[in-house]
Amino acid sequence: MKTKRNLLLRTIFVLTFFSTVWFLYGCQQVVSIDLNTANPRIVVEGNIKDQPGPYSVFLSMTGSYFDTTLATPPVSHAQVVITDNLGNRDTLKEVISGTYQSSTLLGVSGRTYMLSVKADGKEYIATSSMPTKVFIDSLYALPRHGFGGESGYDIYVTFKDPPELGNYYRINARSSTVIPADSIDGRRYRLFTDKLTNGNEMTERIRAGRNVNVGDTITIELCSIDKASYDYFNTLSDILSSDRSPTSLAPENPNSNISSDALGYFAAYTIDSKQIVLR
Amino acid sequence: MKTLAVVITILFLLHLLNSITFSQTKQTISGIVKNGETGEALIGAAVVVKELSGVGVVSNAYGFYSLTLPRETYTILVQYLGFKTKIFSLLLDKDQIVNFELTPEPIKVGEVVVSGERTNANVTSTEVSAEKLEIDEIKSIPVLLGEKDILKTIQLLPGVQSAGEGGTGFYARGGGIDQNLIVLDEAPVYNSSHLLGFLSVFNSDAIKDVKVITGGIPAEYGGRLSSVLDIRTNDGNDKEFGGTGGIGLLSSRLTLEGPIVRDEGSFIVSGRRTYADLFLKLSKDTLINRASLYFYDLNAKANYSLGQKDRMFISGYFGRDNFNYPGTFGFNWGNTTGTLRWNHIFGDHLFSNTSFIISDYGYSNVVGSGTSEFQITSGIRDLNFKMDFQYFTNSQSTIKFGVNSVYHTFLPGTVTAGSTSFTNSLTIENRYALESAAYFSHELDIVSGFKLNYGLRYSLFSLLGPGHIFSYDESGAAVDTATYRSRDFIKTYTNLEPRISANVLLNETSSIKASYTRTTQYLHLLSNSTTSNPSDLWVPSSNNVKPQLADQYDVGYFRNFNDNQFEASFELYYKNMQNLIDYKNGADFLLNQNVEALLLYGRGWSYGAEMLVRKKFGQVTGWVGYTLSKTEEQFDQINNGLAFPARQDRTHDISVVVIYDYNSVWNFSASWVYNTGNAVTFPSGGYWLQAENRWIPLYTERNGYRMPAYHRLDLSATWKLGPRSNLNFSLYNAYDRMNAYSINFRQDPNNLDKTQAVQTTFFPIIPSVTYNFNF
Repeated sequence: MKTKRNLLLRTIFVLTFFSTVWFLYGCQQVVSIDLNTANPRIVVEGNIKDQPGPYSVFLSMTGSYFDTTLATPPVSHAQVVITDNLGNRDTLKEVISGTYQSSTLLGVSGRTYMLSVKADGKEYIATSSMPTKVFIDSLYALPRHGFGGESGYDIYVTFKDPPELGNYYRINARSSTVIPADSIDGRRYRLFTDKLTNGNEMTERIRAGRNVNVGDTITIELCSIDKASYDYFNTLSDILSSDRSPTSLAPENPNSNISSDALGYFAAYTIDSKQIVLR
Repeated sequence: MKTLAVVITILFLLHLLNSITFSQTKQTISGIVKNGETGEALIGAAVVVKELSGVGVVSNAYGFYSLTLPRETYTILVQYLGFKTKIFSLLLDKDQIVNFELTPEPIKVGEVVVSGERTNANVTSTEVSAEKLEIDEIKSIPVLLGEKDILKTIQLLPGVQSAGEGGTGFYARGGGIDQNLIVLDEAPVYNSSHLLGFLSVFNSDAIKDVKVITGGIPAEYGGRLSSVLDIRTNDGNDKEFGGTGGIGLLSSRLTLEGPIVRDEGSFIVSGRRTYADLFLKLSKDTLINRASLYFYDLNAKANYSLGQKDRMFISGYFGRDNFNYPGTFGFNWGNTTGTLRWNHIFGDHLFSNTSFIISDYGYSNVVGSGTSEFQITSGIRDLNFKMDFQYFTNSQSTIKFGVNSVYHTFLPGTVTAGSTSFTNSLTIENRYALESAAYFSHELDIVSGFKLNYGLRYSLFSLLGPGHIFSYDESGAAVDTATYRSRDFIKTYTNLEPRISANVLLNETSSIKASYTRTTQYLHLLSNSTTSNPSDLWVPSSNNVKPQLADQYDVGYFRNFNDNQFEASFELYYKNMQNLIDYKNGADFLLNQNVEALLLYGRGWSYGAEMLVRKKFGQVTGWVGYTLSKTEEQFDQINNGLAFPARQDRTHDISVVVIYDYNSVWNFSASWVYNTGNAVTFPSGGYWLQAENRWIPLYTERNGYRMPAYHRLDLSATWKLGPRSNLNFSLYNAYDRMNAYSINFRQDPNNLDKTQAVQTTFFPIIPSVTYNFNF
């Protein structure tokens, strides 16, 4: 009797232990959900870099979430003008439908740029200041042994944060063998600020895992962005599903620096890039 | 000292009143009601007079009762659920102290158990929307992974809703997760969860009594808007040494108790620890076997009687969660509370309790290693002084009054950099506040069949210096800084909080009750998540943040059936809440000097109907609860200023609990829950973003959509292996319902030209087993 009971106990224990492990992984399935479609709104995307132009502004309208083509209608025949704080003015030309390009404009660190878009009888305005450029001091990669035998590389980027508080950064990391749309650590970019590191020699670690191999060339771009751009991309990452936790707060559209309820952003930023070959 | 003077004056007046009105004609019987086997004081035992219908009192949180009656011979009945009723004949010719010891009723098989508290207390009391859970019920009801948990069991009551599957967070009548006052032996507990919310910090082996109040909150409770969860721990067996314990899948627990001096003092120590991390030690990987992942908690308590009139209690709770992965992160958090209490009985009528309480919640988070290592610590500390009096004027009248003063220290965050780290050290300024209250309430039988409980709480909150206090403009930019020195009063709020409830007895088995309460909340929880997180931040009311206020109206019909075997109630409530808090998009509260600039203020309201039918004793016990409700919020800067459903808005909420004592070997139980899905925000459009090369969701309506309805059946069976041990088997989600834990929208990874909605289910059918023993 006693041994029988012990056997039963052991069986139950083993079964429950495995089921515990199983539930921790959860289960996903595609479901069908009815969504409303809101009235179309304009999406404005504009970038100015401290590298030679032309610089582009993209204009489009929103569609339904379950759009069949995932291509939103471009906004044509808009008047798109960028001016800077020195009085330089450039009217952008529509090169393909919804894409407008500058011709004379120069991206220079320290200048403030103002974008004006007139479309469908409305004007959308945004400003962005190109921050002080921060250069990469060094770049190195070390092999990594992570949790559960996961392998790959840790890529370290070092640079000196300027003495004044309020620097915002974005690092783009790409590998020569990975399609440009994807990043080596599963994220397209990394955002951070100098809130806790102001004025210091900084070392940022980029975890390169599943996508990289020995012999790959890794390109790292260190961008200095302004606060508005940081806010935009930071709040954008909050709503991208891969970053969303089930207990996240109610999602909202990213904080845009464009007036009149437009979606999107206008960002002036500097880029310093360096490359390294993995060994 | 001023308060003490006031208290003494009131005492004097009450004594005077009593001596003038009653002492010539009436005498008092008073004492403590105890469990005869363990010496535990019984809370809420009914002491009734057989000869005088409807005359009686209920023992208080320390088991004390006092009954003042004309000189006569009486038969006193002392009743408590699960105990044999004590019948005591008494010639009340002088004031006397009688302590009652009740004997637990053995449950016999195959017959309807005639047990104590076959009373209609729920019909006759002025308590509305207050439910008491028996600890045996909590131990019988199935829960996730067999870990019995108070906070999960109360979610099965009407008016209390789960804030997330498998979690311990709860919403009371449309109130937020931070609007529940959770007190453990009078000490507020700031974070009631272990293991990221899957288990509560309350070890049910250590607990004696649990009471949930969602409406008609009495004047002695304050500081939170929506509910009170009053948890009392065991005092410890004062007759003999003993122990209980259990071995579960997640944790094991052990309780030891015994007399310090027989019948005069006892102690209890109860501990619990998880051991998932012990398996990590088996790993060959040096990183993994050095990792830790556990929590523990420890309840310790001792009490000692100093004669008939005085009793001292000292108790403490210590709990800690620890997650540590060497070189990557370490995270630990926990509560510590300590309570020193002194019960003193003045004369025969006046019971007093004086408490000194310390409460501490904090977390520490180590991030990174080497040059990137830093540690963040944050927390809140309370020093709390409390005096409560209960004056049993006569059998028709009881007065409660008291004072409470809490000195809060808020430690919003400190960063300590590692020795080689490039991170700067940083401290966000501490905040200090003094929260005080004085209250009184009077429960009175105005005429036979009409009872009134009227009370008033006067609360006072001051934000104190030192500190640099900012003012903000509309956009959240700091426009002004004022510097305050230590003990400067920066901002003071006062509020009068009326608490009234009334009971009209229609007949012996039915009544109508109504209540109105105002509640105030001076502390606010800021969280980046919809569930409670260790890193949530408590902030005080200030020049920028106003106290939250709630007014609640409640009316209910209460009726018992079948010789009080069934209790039924139907209640309607309306609650109006002001100065609620929400956040600006992207608000980051971590290490931010200006968190107040990230807040939005609005209002909310909740109304609904709740029904409960409960069978309290017999071979089959349990309840059926149903809530129909609506909860909305309105913020000028959210949803274009339009009202929107709160996340906790649940149209329908049903729970069914059945406990079946089959025979002396087997006990079965089942619970079934159904609720309307949470109100959630889904995209109402999309657009292509070149910078992301991705399809981005467009949001237009806050909480404009619903998650699918949630339902689940849990089963449990307890197999008594002998008088001293049992095995509990449970099956969570018995019919394997794929409940949606979350629904996310994304591009189809297999076809990037398409979008899809993906539902995640966390808890399919899950069996578990627990071994329990006592000695």
